[in-house]
Amino acid sequence: MSSGGTRMTMSMAGLFLLMIILFMADMFIGSTHMAAADVFRALFGSGPPGDEIIVMQFRLPRALTAILAGAAMSVSGLLMQTLFRNPLAGPDVMGVSSGAGLGVALTLLTLTPLFTVPAGSILAGWGVILAAWAGAGAVMMIIMAVSARMRDIMTVLIVGMLLASAISAVVSLMQYFSNEAMLRTYVIWTMGNLGNISYPQIRALALASAAGLALALTMVKPLNTILLGETFSRTVGVRMQRTRIILLASASILAGSVTAFCGPLAFIGVAVPHITRLLFGTTDHRILLPATALTGAVILLFSDIISVIPGGGHIIPVNTVTSLIGIPVVLWIILGKTGPGRRF
Amino acid sequence: MIITAAVLFCSCRNAGERCVAQSGEGGTVAGRLTIEKEKGYTRVTVTEPWQNAQGIRIVWYLVPHGSGLPAGVSEAQTIRIPVRRIICMSVTHIAMLRALGADSLIAGISGASLVYDSAVVAGIRNGRIRDVGYDATLNKELVISLAPDLLMAYGVADPSSGSAARLSETGVKVFYNADYLEDHPLARLEWIRLFGLLAGREEAADSIFSSVYAAYNRLAERVRDSAAGRPGVLLGAPWEDVWYVSPSNSYIGKLIQDAGGHYIYSDMEGPNAVPFSVESVFRKAAEADVWINPGTAETLGEIVSSDPRMASLPLFRDGSIWNNRRRVTAEGGNDYWESAVVRPDLLLADLVSIIHPELMPGYVQFYYRKLE
Repeated sequence: MSSGGTRMTMSMAGLFLLMIILFMADMFIGSTHMAAADVFRALFGSGPPGDEIIVMQFRLPRALTAILAGAAMSVSGLLMQTLFRNPLAGPDVMGVSSGAGLGVALTLLTLTPLFTVPAGSILAGWGVILAAWAGAGAVMMIIMAVSARMRDIMTVLIVGMLLASAISAVVSLMQYFSNEAMLRTYVIWTMGNLGNISYPQIRALALASAAGLALALTMVKPLNTILLGETFSRTVGVRMQRTRIILLASASILAGSVTAFCGPLAFIGVAVPHITRLLFGTTDHRILLPATALTGAVILLFSDIISVIPGGGHIIPVNTVTSLIGIPVVLWIILGKTGPGRRF
Repeated sequence: MIITAAVLFCSCRNAGERCVAQSGEGGTVAGRLTIEKEKGYTRVTVTEPWQNAQGIRIVWYLVPHGSGLPAGVSEAQTIRIPVRRIICMSVTHIAMLRALGADSLIAGISGASLVYDSAVVAGIRNGRIRDVGYDATLNKELVISLAPDLLMAYGVADPSSGSAARLSETGVKVFYNADYLEDHPLARLEWIRLFGLLAGREEAADSIFSSVYAAYNRLAERVRDSAAGRPGVLLGAPWEDVWYVSPSNSYIGKLIQDAGGHYIYSDMEGPNAVPFSVESVFRKAAEADVWINPGTAETLGEIVSSDPRMASLPLFRDGSIWNNRRRVTAEGGNDYWESAVVRPDLLLADLVSIIHPELMPGYVQFYYRKLE
C-alpha cells in the first residue's frame, strides 16, 4: 500500500513537471517565430515592447487558459462518468455545453443579441461569455430540478441528452436563417479557442474553476462509494440526492465556464478521465481527481502547441486537435474488451 | 430534360483558351464575361461562372422579342430582350439596374434586410418587390409565381444540386452572374454592360462603363505619378483567435494597390481568404499605417473591447482606422457592397484620400468613415 502510494505521488509529481515543461514550451512555440532568448527577455520585461506584447498578451494568456480549461473540463467529465456510471458520459451529456451554445447563438446569430454590452463599459467584450454562462446556467437549473424529483439517475441522463438534442435543433434553426458572416463567427466559436481571453477574463475563469474544483474535492468520498452502486452508497450513509445536486452543480460550473470562455472543447472531458485511469491504474477519486485535472491541463497545453504546426502564421482550431487525440482513446475504450470500461 | 434546362454547358478542355471580353471604348477587363454581337442576336458567354468551375462556360442568346431564334439554338438557351421582370439574387445586380435607371424591372430580391437603396427598399415595403429568400430558404413557389423573365443568380459552388438548379428544371431562366468573382473593380463594373443589354439600355451602360473606367484610371495614374511612398495597409478584423486574410490579388487588394498603398500581405496570392493566427497578423501589422475594414466595428472602443491587444498596435496611436460603413441601413444593408460596384472610381477616391490624404485635401469620403 505504501509503495503504491509512493508510486502515485511520483506519477503526480511527474505530471506536474510535464505540465510546467509544456507550459514553457507553449510560451516558446507560437504561431510566429521568436528566438528563445527574446521570449525570456520579454517574460522578464526587458525585451522590445513588440516582443513583450506577443509573449505577455498573446502566449501567456493562451497557456494559462489551456491549463485552467484542460483541468476544469476533464474534472467535469470525471464527475459525470462516475455519477452516471457511464464511461461515455462527458460534460456535454447534461446539455450544459449545448445551453452555452444556445446563449452564444442568440448573441451571434441574431441582429438583437441576448446581451448588448456597450463598448467602453466594464463588461465590454463579455457579451458572448455572459450569454454562454446564462445558457449553461439555465440548463443546469433544469437538470438539477429534474434530478431532485427523480430517484433513478439514468432518468437525469436521458433528460439531459434530450435537452441537448432539443437545444441543438433550435441552434440549427437559427443557423439556417442566419447569413454567412454570422454563421462563420458562430462556427469559429464552436471550434474552440484559447487565444482571445484577457487577463480579467482569465481571473473569472480561474475563480469559477476553483469553485467547481473545490466543490468536487468535498465529494471525493461519496464519489468512491457511488462506484459501488447507489444502493450501496445509501446503505453506507451517503445522502444521494444531496450528493447528486452538488456533483451536478460542480460539473456544470466547470464545463459551463470553460465553454463560455473557450467554446465547446470537444472530447477533453470524455477522454482525459480514461487516460488518467490508465496512467494511474486506480479508481480512487482521492488520486483520480487531482490527477485528472493535471492530465487535462497537460493534454490541452500539448494540443495548443500542436495547433501551430501548419507554420507560417497559421493555426488550426484547438478542437480539431483535441478530437484527433480524443477519438482514438474513446474508440479504444469502446472496442477494448479489457479496457477501463469494464471498471464501471 | 435536365440537359435542355436553361443552360448549355460546354467543356473547353483546351488549356489557355480564355475568353476575352469584346469591349467598346475603354478597353476590356472582365475576364469571365464575353459579349458577341451577331446579326439579329447577341451571344453572351460566362466563363467559369462559379468558384472552381474550371473549363465550364455557359452560353446565352439574347434575342429581341418577336425575332426568330438563331439556327440550332433552343428557346431554353434564349433570353428575350428587353426583359420585363427580373429577380436579383445579389445587391450588386440591384445596383447595376439602378444605375441604368431600370430598377422598375426588379420583381424580386434576395434578403430584404441587406438592401441599401432607398427606392428598392420602398418597393419592398409597398409589396411591389418581393423577397424570395436565399440558399436553402429560397422560396421557389414565390419565384415561380412572380413569373420572372430571368433570375439573376450567383454561384458560390457548383449549383447543379442547389435550389436554383431545381428552378431551371421548372423553366425559370437562371443566369449565373460571376461579377463577384472578377478580381478587379473595373472588371466587376463591366458586367453593367450585360444589364444594359438585358434592360435595353445598352448605350447608357456603355457610357457609364467608359466614363467610370476613365475616371478610375485617371486617379490611379495620378497616384502613381505623385504619391510619395506607399503607406502600409492592414485589412480585416480578428475574430476569437483567427484573422481571415484576403490575398493581394483580391478585389480589395487591387484597390489598395491602385490607391498607392502597400498591403501588408502583398506577397500572398490565392483564390480565397486564409485563416492566420491573430499573433502573426498582429506582428505583421507593425508595418501598417492605416487599417481599413475592421469588421463591423463603429468606434475605436468597439475594436478594443473585442480584442484589447489591438490597442497596442502602432497604427492605433499614430495612424488611422476606417470602416466601410458610412452608408448603412439599420436593418443591415451596406451601400459599400451595393452601389460601389458601379462606382469603383468613388471607392478608389475614398481609399486614396485615406492612404494619401495629401493628394486629396478637403475630400469627404463616400463609403468610408473614420473610427473615433
